[in-house]
Amino acid sequence: MNPSLIEQLQLGANGLPYQVPIHPNLVHLTLGLFIVAIGFDIVGVLFPLERSVFKLLAIPATRSNFFDVGWYNMLAAAVVTFFTVAAGFYEIMLAQPLADVKSAWGLEAMETMLWHGVGGVILLLLIVGMTVWRGFQRYAWNRDRARQVQWTYLLAGLGIFALMFAHGTLGAQLAAEFGVHISADRLLEIGQNPNLLLK
Amino acid sequence: MFEYLPPLNDHNLPYPDTVHPIVVHFVIAMVLFAVLCDVIGYFTRNVRLYEVSWWNLCFATVSIFIAVIFGQVEAGLAEPYTAAEPTLNLHTLIGWTLSGVIAAITGWRYILRVRDPKTLPAPFLGVGVLLLGLVFFQVYLGDLLVWVYGLHTVPVVEASREGVFQ
Repeated sequence: MNPSLIEQLQLGANGLPYQVPIHPNLVHLTLGLFIVAIGFDIVGVLFPLERSVFKLLAIPATRSNFFDVGWYNMLAAAVVTFFTVAAGFYEIMLAQPLADVKSAWGLEAMETMLWHGVGGVILLLLIVGMTVWRGFQRYAWNRDRARQVQWTYLLAGLGIFALMFAHGTLGAQLAAEFGVHISADRLLEIGQNPNLLLK
Repeated sequence: MFEYLPPLNDHNLPYPDTVHPIVVHFVIAMVLFAVLCDVIGYFTRNVRLYEVSWWNLCFATVSIFIAVIFGQVEAGLAEPYTAAEPTLNLHTLIGWTLSGVIAAITGWRYILRVRDPKTLPAPFLGVGVLLLGLVFFQVYLGDLLVWVYGLHTVPVVEASREGVFQ
């Protein structure tokens, strides 16, 4: 965004109208819920192998409950990710990254921001698509089967993990390397001492 | 002894990026979702959601110990400047406390579930809400360490090595 446009707003040292960014906090929910949803579906599919382990640990476990976790966690991930992406776009529009550095992946700030923005929309579509796919498996196709999910769905989930790793690393680089929305980094850039100003 | 350890990068870490903020996904999201499922399950009498809550709590309990281990490693390498120290100390204290609290709540839930998986006493819901408060406060402190004080970010590590904070 054009710096003179950003100056039209009354912003804090971090370049936001509030103390800490919202997007990274919603990211905890998106990633946690999605990854655990796929994880528990894998536990459900492999249940015959695990039965003796749960018995040994004296934890009562029913196969269908793991598929419940897989479904409800995925549904929650889809709902929350709309807010994650919305908050992300708000905060990326106010970003003023360090211009003279390259990330550990050899990208400059603008490239990193563009890939992270596009990646976020693609991930939202994929998560919603996975939720719809999962819903069909639960309520239509595999309704009366002991095994609720298909291997292709789980493999797609693992593929999305890889995409999430790359996407998340870009986001981490925007913060920890380009200093986006980090008060201390932005104070250092204008020659101030955070140790004196952030008491 | 130190020559056997991997060298530290420009984040002052022996590996590319901080790991603690990734592991805490699985504590924050799972605790929040477990409490949400309990509340919805309690008021709609959907007992399936109690099971969803239980397994999420189990996962959170395993995760928080991993989160604390990485948290200690990365706090030890953070070299906080004076202004950041009180927040890091409080975050460390509450982090260890939460590991005990979450494990105890999961243990309690285990007993309740073994006795009767289809009912949930109201006090458990109350404790869940208190746990949410503690988790939110802990997340806020962690946010301050990253987004206000910039610990482990390249500009802060660089400034620290150049002695800017002295």
